[in-house]
Amino acid sequence: MVAAPLAGAQEPGETIEVQGARPEGSARAPGTAATIIDIALFGGEVRSVAEMLSTAPGVSIHALGGPGQAATLSLRGASADESLVLLDGIPLQGPGGGAVDLSSIPATLLDRMVVSRGVLGAQFGAGALGGVLELLPRSARGTWAGGAEAAVGSFGTERLALDAAMPAGNGSAVVALQGDRTSGDFEYARQLTPEIPGAPFYGFTRENGDATRGSGLLRISQELGSDLGLDFLLQGSAGLRGLPGPSSAPTPHSREFDAAGTGGLRLRGSSGEVAWSLRASGRLDRSELRGVTAFGDCEDGTPDCPRQDQRSSSARAEGELALPAGDANTLRLLLAGGGEWVHGTTGAHRRGLFSAAVREDFALASGFWLHSALRLDRVGRQAGLSPAITAEWKPAPVHPLSLRAGWGLSFRTPTFTELYLERGGIAANPDLQPERAWSVDVGAEWRLALLTLSATALWSSYRQLILYQLFPPARVKPFNVGEARIAGVELQAVVPLPAHLLATLSYSFLDAVNRADGHKLAYRPPHRLFARLARRGERLEGYGEASFTSAIPRNAFDTAFVGSQLLLNAGVGVRAAGPLWIDVEAKNLLDKRTYEDLFQYPLPGLSIALIARARL
Amino acid sequence: MKRIALLLLVAACGGKYQAPPPVASIALPDGSQLNPYDSTKPGKARPQGMAAAAGRVYVTLSNQRDTDTFPVNAGPGFLAAFNPSSDKVTLIDLGGTDGHQCQNPGFVRASADGYLYSPCSGNFSGTDGARAIVEVDPLANVVTRRAAIPDGRVPNGVAATANKIWTGDAFTTTVFSIDRKTFAADPSAPVAVDCAKSKFSYVADVMTIRGDVYALCASDTSGELYRLDPDGGAIKSHTTVGPNPTELAGLDDGRIVVVNAGDNTLTVVTASGVTLSASKVLTFSSQTAALQDVRAFGRTVFTVASGSNTAQRIDLDAQGGPKVVAEANFGPGAGPYNILPLDDMQAIVSNRGTNSIAAANWVTVK
Repeated sequence: MVAAPLAGAQEPGETIEVQGARPEGSARAPGTAATIIDIALFGGEVRSVAEMLSTAPGVSIHALGGPGQAATLSLRGASADESLVLLDGIPLQGPGGGAVDLSSIPATLLDRMVVSRGVLGAQFGAGALGGVLELLPRSARGTWAGGAEAAVGSFGTERLALDAAMPAGNGSAVVALQGDRTSGDFEYARQLTPEIPGAPFYGFTRENGDATRGSGLLRISQELGSDLGLDFLLQGSAGLRGLPGPSSAPTPHSREFDAAGTGGLRLRGSSGEVAWSLRASGRLDRSELRGVTAFGDCEDGTPDCPRQDQRSSSARAEGELALPAGDANTLRLLLAGGGEWVHGTTGAHRRGLFSAAVREDFALASGFWLHSALRLDRVGRQAGLSPAITAEWKPAPVHPLSLRAGWGLSFRTPTFTELYLERGGIAANPDLQPERAWSVDVGAEWRLALLTLSATALWSSYRQLILYQLFPPARVKPFNVGEARIAGVELQAVVPLPAHLLATLSYSFLDAVNRADGHKLAYRPPHRLFARLARRGERLEGYGEASFTSAIPRNAFDTAFVGSQLLLNAGVGVRAAGPLWIDVEAKNLLDKRTYEDLFQYPLPGLSIALIARARL
Repeated sequence: MKRIALLLLVAACGGKYQAPPPVASIALPDGSQLNPYDSTKPGKARPQGMAAAAGRVYVTLSNQRDTDTFPVNAGPGFLAAFNPSSDKVTLIDLGGTDGHQCQNPGFVRASADGYLYSPCSGNFSGTDGARAIVEVDPLANVVTRRAAIPDGRVPNGVAATANKIWTGDAFTTTVFSIDRKTFAADPSAPVAVDCAKSKFSYVADVMTIRGDVYALCASDTSGELYRLDPDGGAIKSHTTVGPNPTELAGLDDGRIVVVNAGDNTLTVVTASGVTLSASKVLTFSSQTAALQDVRAFGRTVFTVASGSNTAQRIDLDAQGGPKVVAEANFGPGAGPYNILPLDDMQAIVSNRGTNSIAAANWVTVK
């Protein structure tokens, strides 16, 4: 499935380039249910990575309220730890080895995002139980190009982004920078006595919700010969933000500093029909909590309020080989090894990483394709096999209809946080075993030019799920206790309309059930609906969108829910002069100040932003 | 550009809602007044259980210090005595001569003969000497006796009968007794009061109701209320309540109410002869979170939820079934932990988060 047509040109003077074959998903997982999100389609909008992802089916975002605050990804009802995030193929992790905070990844450094859904351990490695998010950074074009964007908006929110692409040596280079800040001091409303029908709402101002972040990206590609190339990637981000806490127990003194860097070097080449690549990559993450105690906050710098420093790093090397196997088949082999390290509040720990994978793509008769994959992952002392197979069928090579089905089985090793973190109300459990899951899905798609209609039905089964359980007297501790099944439906339509209008509709249904007692799994939205109508013209652009999330179970007994939420956003922009566009955007048009996220973090009401951008 | 944005900002942020009303409260002594072991690291009062005796209200002060891991005991446990109509607070040090003979008291209950009993849980290791049951004479505001706890047990909850003081174990699903004459732990084996569980279970509380001892087993998936013989601890009957029950209370008419934090419900237990039967009668709203306590005055039930900073007054006999008829909020971060009804309309709560005592300012159903 393709959410966004890959018609890259959005800027005046740029030729609209409809490429011959739109990518249908990830190159590493052919035949998989996937959505491609083209960042350029959100030009003139102040969008975070999380906000753009929430337009895709099968995705839900767990955000801790407000701009600049932590946001994590859930795919098909899997937890954030069960969804891999890759930057240009390099796995990202949080400081504890688990979920990636999407707010630390600036959107303007990216070209595209590919969301692949399903148990995809065979294609991407252990941990991909819900799916994989691939972040594809801006790529150089070999000619001089550049852009700038400045935005100011409600709650003291400001953004400045610059990027430039240029020829460099025998190749090209791209550099991108983004700075964000927000005061985050929005107003919100709460019912203080929710048991009383019609009880009044009272107004509060969010405190300690400020955030400042700077990010950069450098990417260089060099052609070393006719069949040899070198790619270099460096990405970094650092931020400081308040941790305001839930509305019921605010923490005005808690702060977090974080910094992360990712680097990669890839040598690629080909010889005849054989293609190969060698890659070395590394990643550093740091998070320092200030003014944070077990059950509240404290004054940073006072004797009983130590800073909590957590760092993690990883390094890996991998080699890939793609070679023909028969007339129409391709065999791909991968061998990778490395290690990952943490120290800080989890204590100091390390573990080795080793992977070996094989994938073969078979072109069968009568329009059938078969993609089989098998991967061995060893993480520390825990190892497992991840097999997968997907099948595709098209009545004819250029026929708009395609049918697909996929099956995968994989596992996730516990994170360092789950194994070793003893902090606040959290206890460690070094005896945890890997989670295991399998899933099957079937789908149909109709694609004709820019029109895409698709439907997918899915079934997933999880066992040995790691869940945090109450651990008396007053802590929670992770245990391998969960058994769950998740069924669902994902629908998507991308419909080009006259007058440069493009309509997008996505719908996700999830039925996530705890097999032990039949209750719904908490924090999984049963229904999500997203609709958007956008226009991209030579002088005028704009969009309107609606996002609806049904009530979400908040406990394990089907008796507490986060209420349903409807958000309306709209924006309009004009080309003021030359390449300069001025846009105005309004989010949460209904000014609902009563919305909260899953953890009682209030969400902002109406916000307005003014954006100026130019691209040369 | 910024000017336009500011104008738009002003338009976007008009005040739509009134400010929350202030909450009147009595501030409890801070850590420096609670005999900290290290004067540079005082604790906070962290009030919990409350009981009325001798015309005053008594509240336990855990006297704990927050850290980046688990709260630690910063000094001895205390009882604070006060009259709800005044700000004057009298402190009773439960720690003994060396200050280490009682730490982290969570409950306090009055016996029929007018004494107060409080279990001290220590540091939850199960081996420290700060675990105890202390007896306080409220007329003199002094500790009269102290019973040590056998190793491996952490007292939780307290029920005073004519001959025994019963307490539960925070680490296992057993209850055991202290002889009131010798004020020493009975040598008999603890009484098992199990409940179905997935991962954890413990004794949430024990209480004397109409002469019998009731013990509440709590687990992540279930809960079980046991009725025990007050002298020997023999199990008379038991019934299943909701998941992760936190507290129980007896009504004048013999019914017992239990709050279940797991599924946000209230269970009513009725006794017919020796048989107990339970019925879930109320599911609280989704915004009500972390039910911590339930108390009764006559036939009116009071509950408190620390996660939503709220207390509820419940009419069990309302037309159409039990319902919340009034609710109070104690402000962000209050963390109300226990509630004590003063009559069938008034109640006070102990705010563990803000270290205060506050009166419920009820918002009623119209």
